[in-house]
Amino acid sequence: MKSIPETNLTAPHIHDWHTTSKAAWICSATLMPVVMASVLLYGMPAVSVWIASLIGAILAETLVAVALKKLSLSDGSSVLTSLLVACAIPPGAPFYIPVSASLFAILGIKTVFGGLGSNWMNPALGGIAFAYANWPNAMRRFMLPSGMVNIDGLSASTPLDVARNFNGTEASRVMDAFRTVGYPLSDIDITVTGFLNDSLFSHLGARLPEGYVDLIIGLKPGTLGESTLLAVLAGSIVLLAFNLIKLEIPLGMIVAFSILSRIFGTGLPGEELFGGDILFALSSGGFMLATFYMATDPVTSPVDHRLAGLYGLGIGALAFIFRRWGAHAEGIVYAILVMNILVPTVERKLMPGLKASERATVL
Amino acid sequence: MTNVRGFKRGGVSTVSRIHYHSEPIENAFLPMNALLLLRENQFSVEAKPVVSEGQEVKEGQLVARGYGKNSSHVHSPIPGIVRRIGKTVTPDGYETTSIVISLEGSFSVLGKRPERYLWRSLNKTDISHIIQDKGLMRVSTGEPLHQIISDCSKRDGIIIAVNALEMDQYRRVEEEIMLRRINDVVDACAIAARMVKPDRIVFMIDTDFPKAQIPVIMLAAAQTELEISVERFQRRFPQDLPRQIAIALGLKDDSSLCILEPSTLVVLHDAIVSNKPHIEQYVYIGGGAMKAPVILKARIGTTIGDLIEECGGFSGQPDRICINDPYRGLAAADLDVPLTRSTRAVLALTKHETKPASERPCNRCGNCLRACPEGLHPYLLNKLLLADKIEEAFAAGLGRCTFCGACAYTCWSRIPLVERFKSVCLKDKSR
Ligand code: SF4
Ligand code: SF4
Repeated sequence: MKSIPETNLTAPHIHDWHTTSKAAWICSATLMPVVMASVLLYGMPAVSVWIASLIGAILAETLVAVALKKLSLSDGSSVLTSLLVACAIPPGAPFYIPVSASLFAILGIKTVFGGLGSNWMNPALGGIAFAYANWPNAMRRFMLPSGMVNIDGLSASTPLDVARNFNGTEASRVMDAFRTVGYPLSDIDITVTGFLNDSLFSHLGARLPEGYVDLIIGLKPGTLGESTLLAVLAGSIVLLAFNLIKLEIPLGMIVAFSILSRIFGTGLPGEELFGGDILFALSSGGFMLATFYMATDPVTSPVDHRLAGLYGLGIGALAFIFRRWGAHAEGIVYAILVMNILVPTVERKLMPGLKASERATVL
Repeated sequence: MTNVRGFKRGGVSTVSRIHYHSEPIENAFLPMNALLLLRENQFSVEAKPVVSEGQEVKEGQLVARGYGKNSSHVHSPIPGIVRRIGKTVTPDGYETTSIVISLEGSFSVLGKRPERYLWRSLNKTDISHIIQDKGLMRVSTGEPLHQIISDCSKRDGIIIAVNALEMDQYRRVEEEIMLRRINDVVDACAIAARMVKPDRIVFMIDTDFPKAQIPVIMLAAAQTELEISVERFQRRFPQDLPRQIAIALGLKDDSSLCILEPSTLVVLHDAIVSNKPHIEQYVYIGGGAMKAPVILKARIGTTIGDLIEECGGFSGQPDRICINDPYRGLAAADLDVPLTRSTRAVLALTKHETKPASERPCNRCGNCLRACPEGLHPYLLNKLLLADKIEEAFAAGLGRCTFCGACAYTCWSRIPLVERFKSVCLKDKSR
């Protein structure tokens, strides 16, 4: 008869399959469609950013391993962090940006705050904010994906920038504005939109304007992660199916962001109140990627599901405010960071299941 | 009966069960040596041996006498010679006196026809004496049965809850007893009812329980004058805690519940009807390291190693052996741990099932919050305990923890939450 090995013999004796490191590895794996889409669109300039960011993570982990004598590369969280950092970097950025951004994320934020689980700020977002602060220009210099035609250098600006900087006089809808300034359309878009209009929307008495398909499949300049919305959605379905993220967070974010986008729009000259374009708002920037992958980081979001919904609503609202009236075209990173900072306060005030007096003493 | 009952929040869904091929339950071989622990668990008081080393004992003969609260008589499960009276450590880590009996001589209980008592002619005192004399125990908790019954008989408006729920992926003992010995179970209910005078009797079955069996239960019930109903419960752990049962039945609290399992009831039946002491037990032997799960009727004192061997030995490498419930049960340190009167299952679990991983800091995934049926904040309690803020932890509800283990089961970071809570609460009690 085989002997029983000595183990840590505490109950419960069986466990759910989730572990922290499995979660991080699965999460990283679900980013693979995004990685592949970006490589297809941009080629080598995308590959170099992904690799540089990974090198940053490995470097950081090596330094931590030497200094603290513990190797934690296998827990997957640094790899995930470095992938997320790379998502926010434009293809073709000089290699030192991703390397130092993920170094900063892991060393400057995760390790300094005491390792996984103790950081109040999302390391990946910290690294991204660090890159924005140090290389503001390089972080906003975008490339054309292959398959897009360049017209007067206009098309190397992201759709969000085009919409913000529109200075024509007459355009009530975003796609009209794009056509007015002559933003390029791909053949794929024309074919797919035409097909959808003929076969589906015409029966409903509606018409889909050209341009959205390009946004969704990534034929637009942008960072690595925000380019292909389809890939992001594919990955997030897996995240939700494996129960790795709190559904309330993306739900709250999308609800708040869509409603506000509908009401206040993008600020085009002819736009009416309640005439905003939700589809454009969701598909144009890095909002969706941040929604599913960055805002849902468990360590920096509320532990309770009900508060997580609130947190999502808060990020959605802030992200819209920053995007619409902020200094830069995309403000989701700062929106999440602001809410990260508010999490402890919100929990102390609102944590369900504890009386007010208890919250004050125990949280 | 169509609506399914359950507690309100938290818990772990255990809908996916390990397949069990239902077969007539066999008697296990008599063990060559039976190891009797004179103390069932940490709450019980040791019984005093009334035999001496070298003495010959008959099957079912009294070998240790219980005195006072939480103490019960112990009988010899096999005929033989008292080899040794010594000290043993129970699986939950308490030292107890133990008696080893070696098999020798002839059977009296197993070999002969059971005596059939016409229990209806017995009065309350007689029944109460038999329950105490035969050393009957509530199988789920290891409390002496006479104590529970006499407690309940002093109160009004009692509901006897026949708890056939086993809310984990493995065990099936209660279900099998309900399928195979329903008449004995109902008879035992009538015996218990004579003592307790309950308002009604509720049979608690889960949604997996074969529906075709419900009319059989009702038929058996119709032969008594008792008010018996059947309630179906969702398969969600931990349904079998008194508080959870009370919530599910729509009661204010559990003070009016007298919870008895079918396995306890058949022991009660055998004691009253066949004059048999509590020396046998139905036990589920399963887990991924066994070929297929088996239910045996085995003698108290048989070592779990013998039982496993009788079921064909391990077919895989066990990571740990767990006694009873995989969420709350004890881990057996070795294979010499004996079967006791409160053992219903022995699970040889492989790594595939225990899914060990190293403990990591809490990453606030929130699973424990959702799993806790008491609405506690396990992650927070853990944080407070790690910071040595014990008072604050009790202020945050640590005292309400039932140690069900649902939180630790779901923890991503494999933090031994419930173990930590338990040890602090135990220390606090002894303060
Ligand atoms: S062990 Fe305690 S804290 Fe954990 S789920 Fe059960 S009652 Fe809640
Ligand atoms: S389940 Fe574990 S990791 Fe998740 S919040 Fe609770 S204690 Fe933390």
